[in-house]
Amino acid sequence: MEERYYATGRRKTAVARVWLTQGSGKVRVNDRAVDEYFGEAVREQALRPLVTLGLQNDFDVWCTVKGGGISGQAGALRHGLARALVVANEEYRSPMRRGGYLTRDSRMVERKKYGQPGARKRFQFSKR
Amino acid sequence: MSRRRSPEKRDLAPDPRYGDVMVTKFINYCMSDGKRSVSESAFYRALETVKDKSGQEGIEVFRAALNNVKPSVEVKSRRIGGATYQVPVEIRAERRTQLAMRWLIAFARTRPEQTFADRLANELLMASKNEGPSIKKREDTHRMAEANRAFAHCRW
Repeated sequence: MEERYYATGRRKTAVARVWLTQGSGKVRVNDRAVDEYFGEAVREQALRPLVTLGLQNDFDVWCTVKGGGISGQAGALRHGLARALVVANEEYRSPMRRGGYLTRDSRMVERKKYGQPGARKRFQFSKR
Repeated sequence: MSRRRSPEKRDLAPDPRYGDVMVTKFINYCMSDGKRSVSESAFYRALETVKDKSGQEGIEVFRAALNNVKPSVEVKSRRIGGATYQVPVEIRAERRTQLAMRWLIAFARTRPEQTFADRLANELLMASKNEGPSIKKREDTHRMAEANRAFAHCRW
């Protein structure tokens, strides 16, 4: 079997499992085509690692993404894609790092606090 | 909000069709209830409508409209010795675009067309020709500043 490169990517609560093979630029997400799965702007974000390296047509991508919303899933895919590319070829590490694609974005939803209706929002204050 | 330091400016990703950060900003500003894909499609549809109607490139009309609506001076209220004066001040570049976008969208929303895309398309077209309610708003703002020119020395 031809060689596959695997990596996991995460963003917010989304987890992406990404397998890369040499190929012609076919990208499948959860068994659907990327164009169908993501809207234009989000897709652009997700595929940024390949585009930066100019390799859109050199690899086939097969991945599953679970959890989170559209934006988080795209971010997870981007993270996983970058890491899989590094597994495929160590030389990609520095351009990926420069783009910030290898850094796990640690921002998460802020927890809701008791005594408040939200993370920051307070209940209306009434003096008496 | 903490007053220790001013928040960091975040960079926006340029939009995929035109590679323009202003477009992303505008789309975000059109958004309601966090539904970006809705405001995205409305905006791009508006630009296509603009192209059909005027034959000009939608993005160019958008840029022209935005530029035309940008105000250069506004008035701020300032209290000096018990009396409130309307002091004209210059606006910094960032706030200019911000105001321009706000006005374009606000006046687009009040238009009679059926969909927001159509409303926005017509508002952009008018603004690019220096007419319409958003341009009027800019002129009103300028007129206010001009009328209160006498207090310009009160700037702080």
